[in-house]
Amino acid sequence: MKSPIPIFDCHGHLGSHPDFPALKYSAEEMIEVMDLLNIEALAITSTLACYSDCPRGNAEVAAVVKRYPQRFRGYVTVNPNPEGEALRELERWNYFHQPPLIKFHPDLHKYPVNGPKYRPVWDYANQTRAVVLVHTWDSDPNCGPLMFAPIGREFPHARILLGHSGVTMRGYEQSFETAKAAPNTYLDITGSQSHRTIIETAVARVGAERVLFGSDLPYLEAAMSLGRVLSARISDADKEQILRKNFLRLIEED
Amino acid sequence: MSESVIEPAFSEVASWNVFDANVRVGPSGVHGDLALETAGLLAEMDRFGIRQALTSHFVAEEYDVLAGNRALARDLHPRLVPAWAALPDKESTEKLWALRPAAVRLSFGVKKHNFSPSTWCSGELCEGLQERSILTLIAREDIEWDSLASLLQNFPRLTILLLETGYRADRYLFPLLNRHANLYIDTSTYLAHRQLESFVDQFGPGQLIFGSRLPLYTPGTTLAVLATARISDDAKLAIAGGTLRQLLGRAAQ
Repeated sequence: MKSPIPIFDCHGHLGSHPDFPALKYSAEEMIEVMDLLNIEALAITSTLACYSDCPRGNAEVAAVVKRYPQRFRGYVTVNPNPEGEALRELERWNYFHQPPLIKFHPDLHKYPVNGPKYRPVWDYANQTRAVVLVHTWDSDPNCGPLMFAPIGREFPHARILLGHSGVTMRGYEQSFETAKAAPNTYLDITGSQSHRTIIETAVARVGAERVLFGSDLPYLEAAMSLGRVLSARISDADKEQILRKNFLRLIEED
Repeated sequence: MSESVIEPAFSEVASWNVFDANVRVGPSGVHGDLALETAGLLAEMDRFGIRQALTSHFVAEEYDVLAGNRALARDLHPRLVPAWAALPDKESTEKLWALRPAAVRLSFGVKKHNFSPSTWCSGELCEGLQERSILTLIAREDIEWDSLASLLQNFPRLTILLLETGYRADRYLFPLLNRHANLYIDTSTYLAHRQLESFVDQFGPGQLIFGSRLPLYTPGTTLAVLATARISDDAKLAIAGGTLRQLLGRAAQ
């Protein structure tokens, strides 16, 4: 199985993982799988940054993006907890991509995405028309999908990717509600819960132009998300939007 | 599959004679429209080239074992092989043996049938399952790892198929797989990057069994992962159904 459409993948990582033994997670090993499935490019965030150390984690991303500029795009991952660090990191790595690609992980950083420490970063994202990928989870007090409707309305120029779309069926429902309320929010389908008909429902509820493919490489098997999209009962045009066009449009490479 | 010109390469699946180890049928009070009656389930299996399915019933899992087994008997089809529900008391086990089961699904969890997998509670049931070579399905969420380890140790000939392990389970699973050849897992949520290949490298394909979690999950994911795994064709065939047929054949003998 190979995607008939070259994929632009909005959700990948760099680094190992604490919860389970990540396998073959170097950039080169990811490229091997990307070639196999026809993933043209993957946007990556540092897992070290998502957990403990943004400056060193973002530096790891910088090295990979420099080495393979055609295959990877880099998110600047920011942590609101160390005072002033988030904006410093955004300035330090501002050459990663224009518009900026920014990653928040409010669950791991244990700080609510609507809290005051995130405000300067949302302001920055609004001013720069950044694409902001945020980890979300069903009803999570730090990053439940419903929290993003007011944020989206307050910062209308930021483009917000609801990472994993809240994961569960209820999380998807919450993501649909948010997408309805804030037109600058988008559903990223990355995730391990593969509910039957969820892709079809997402397309029906928010439109194919607001649904994006993500693999979670190198933690989840990329073929899993690909199989979900390719086997969904939606049109070929919708599949092409999800697998490629939507992310290209958002990062302004189309 | 659909009439799409962007046709996923599921066509090879038809030649695998897929036997899905993790399927449920009937109405669900929890899962609503995702649940399917027999005709709908068979249509989904056809769509993905799944030939047969080891099937339990939502009514047995969510409500009552006896009512659920009656519902399963009512809803069966020649392509659906029953995984009957079971309880540890004497009356229930006698009714279970009368069904001459090839497979059962145990739901120990406190929010399900609420009984212990320990020998003091389930010893006679497990002994009976072991003696009859009945394939025993247990969802990971229904048993703690230490209880599973005890079960495997106390009943070394009891064939256990652990369902829905999740992809983060290797640090628990691998020590158990190293000790117990009678432990099998299904692929429904075993979906980490390069995980199938790693498993086959370490243990061979023999303890890995295809499961989709239909009708809740789409088989499009698990079939795609198996189709793209860099393992031999023989390994894919074993995972897709060969091993499951062998295990069910033991009970029939």
